[in-house]
Amino acid sequence: MTPVSLDQPWGRGFNVEHNHAFARDSELPTRSFLPRGLGRSYGDVCVNDSGVLLHNFRRDRLLDFDEVHGVLRCESGASIADIAAVMVRRGWFPAVVPGTRFVTVGGAIANDIHGKNHHVCGTFSRSVLAMSLRRSDRDMQIVESNHPLEDVTVAGLGLSGVIDEATLQLDCIPGPGIKQDTLLFGGDGSIDGYLSLDASSQAWPYTVGWIDTLDRGLRGVFFRGEHCDGPDDWLTPNTAKLAMPVDAPQWVLGRWSAKAFNELYYRAQGLKSATRETIPLWQFFFPLDAVAAWNRAYGKRGFVQYQFVVPRAAAREVVPKILAHLRESNVASYLAVIKSFGEYLSRGVLSFPMPGVTVALDVPAPNERDRRALDRADAMVADAGGRVYPAKDARMSAAMFKRFYPQWERVEAMRDPMISSSFWRRVARSS
Amino acid sequence: MKIVVVGATSAIAQAAIRIWAGEGHTLVLFGRNNSELERIAADARVRGAVAVAVHAGEITSNAYIASAVDALAVNGGVDQALIAHGSLTDAERAAVEPDYLAREFTVNFTSACVWAQLLASTMAANEQPVTKTNRGDHSRTIAVISSVAGERGRYSNFAYGAAKAGLTAFCDGLRAKMLPRGVHIVTVKPGTVDTPMTAHMKRGALTASAESVARGIVVAMNRKTDIAYLPLIWWPIMTIVRAIPERIAKKLKW
Ligand SMILES: Cc1cc2nc3c(=O)[nH]c(=O)nc-3n(C[C@H](O)[C@H](O)[C@H](O)COP(=O)(O)OP(=O)(O)OC[C@H]3O[C@@H](n4cnc5c(N)ncnc54)[C@H](O)[C@@H]3O)c2cc1C
Repeated sequence: MTPVSLDQPWGRGFNVEHNHAFARDSELPTRSFLPRGLGRSYGDVCVNDSGVLLHNFRRDRLLDFDEVHGVLRCESGASIADIAAVMVRRGWFPAVVPGTRFVTVGGAIANDIHGKNHHVCGTFSRSVLAMSLRRSDRDMQIVESNHPLEDVTVAGLGLSGVIDEATLQLDCIPGPGIKQDTLLFGGDGSIDGYLSLDASSQAWPYTVGWIDTLDRGLRGVFFRGEHCDGPDDWLTPNTAKLAMPVDAPQWVLGRWSAKAFNELYYRAQGLKSATRETIPLWQFFFPLDAVAAWNRAYGKRGFVQYQFVVPRAAAREVVPKILAHLRESNVASYLAVIKSFGEYLSRGVLSFPMPGVTVALDVPAPNERDRRALDRADAMVADAGGRVYPAKDARMSAAMFKRFYPQWERVEAMRDPMISSSFWRRVARSS
Repeated sequence: MKIVVVGATSAIAQAAIRIWAGEGHTLVLFGRNNSELERIAADARVRGAVAVAVHAGEITSNAYIASAVDALAVNGGVDQALIAHGSLTDAERAAVEPDYLAREFTVNFTSACVWAQLLASTMAANEQPVTKTNRGDHSRTIAVISSVAGERGRYSNFAYGAAKAGLTAFCDGLRAKMLPRGVHIVTVKPGTVDTPMTAHMKRGALTASAESVARGIVVAMNRKTDIAYLPLIWWPIMTIVRAIPERIAKKLKW
């Protein structure tokens, strides 16, 4: 697996200079550096302007697999794509997967990623039984439960050292299919419809919703799924046949095309409202991976994603307010993903999920006005006791970051003195 | 099938090993770096290889090659082999350090020829009569990784190119020699491949991934292709490159 770009994060649009190093053996760069996986973070958590990026995607060997218990030890550059391709045919699947399979295990730990099953199994780090960590200032550390470096390595944004190997507990699955229900909700300007579908679907291992953010009624589509068997030709994903060959011109992505897109999408779903079907798991988990480098659809100037979470008690009231605010400020977007997190608390002090409701939406190349609108949204999130996801961010202020993550100084204290990132220099500086 | 891989730690070899592991073959890996080899072997086992043996040693020394191939012969022979070791010669250094130049020739040319010759002879000796049941199999094929750099001596990398040119010629002859004995030789000619060996070079539009080159090699071996340009676009390119008259070529700093 190779990254789309060695320099740019997924959201692109950065003006950066990097030196590149490739992790092979135990040597670490002798200058300030940042470990990097497949660069699927949207913003500067995987950027180290004027410094070294230590690319880890070639350290991707699977080292040991216990077929009986489903325990896999691998190098941290192994991708979810690769692990899934090898393991699905044996009846195992990574316990937590994001919306793209092109992320490394190291990146998944360092952002403590969540999936559509957060309500039943928490974040990625819950499936990590052990990891080894290389630091510039001490010997290789084996980080298991309760190790002093655990809280700052899980969701540590790469700052506590280079994760070298990891041992993962995989999930046992019956086959390569997903039984999926598609249901419609909303239209009344609230998220009540979503919340009640979500509440009645708690027994389903995977749940997620899509909301049309340009529609005042907040209409949306709810998906729930569970693993099931499927034909053998579902065992491997179709490799991306489509690729975005060129950067789309900016106007294509204006507010109006976004609205048209939403309208189309909603109609297509609406025609077959409340359907049940069996689909390949690849299509269920990674629908966008079918188009390689689709981030180019946003043009050269790139985009960010705005993902926030607010506590459950506040969600009903605050989520529609924030969405209305973003709509009224013309922060164009196709659709927002909505997901209700479970009660699991991660050990990582910078871990994003909390019990509550999260919403993620793309924001193409934010201009000054968009940025002010997003800052205002940050304040609404913070006032509600929520926070914003660093993995998707390229813009939150240092002051806001510190409000979202009051324990950030623990990461700073344990940071490998040789490691830094553009994100960290931006948010951890004294304000 | 039992497949031998020489230079197993190279990026292309690792990618090919993954394909073969997934198909459930038996692998014998040769290389120099023991701990790397062990990791590659572990990876192959997790991915489904039936058995993986690892041998770390001086794979460019004649004595080592001879004893390694002898051991393979008494251990049930070999069905397929990939000879993948190589070193991208530093042209500046080669110009001033004769010992380095000679060593590079040993790595890129001599040792690869010795492996190919000895493995081919072993495979031919283990030849089984052609029967209805084994006729369709892909056994007894050796793929040797040469390079498009061997097609013409160029200003910037002729030391590397010369070794690969020699290797290409050797493989052509060996293919002819082995034809009646049922052993096939594939000469693999990759262009620029995105590997640690080329990490310092700029990735152009023609840069191929190690994975795609490895897939091409496996296909070429199964089809018993003679010469495999990978990707194929290098075939027309090199046809043109070879056709440039020397009086012009000698002025090009390419
Ligand atoms: C289409 C798409 C959908 C997504 N869906 C989700 C989702 O549903 N849920 C979710 O949580 N996230 C999601 N993400 C975000 C993505 O999962 C994270 O950004 C993930 O961390 C990317 O992994 P990576 O290997 O690309 O790491 P990178 O982006 O390269 O790096 C991420 C961080 O990890 C650190 N890092 C990388 N490797 C190591 C290592 N070996 N040791 C120490 N630190 C390391 C880096 O320093 C950096 O701070 C999505 C992203 C995309 C593009």
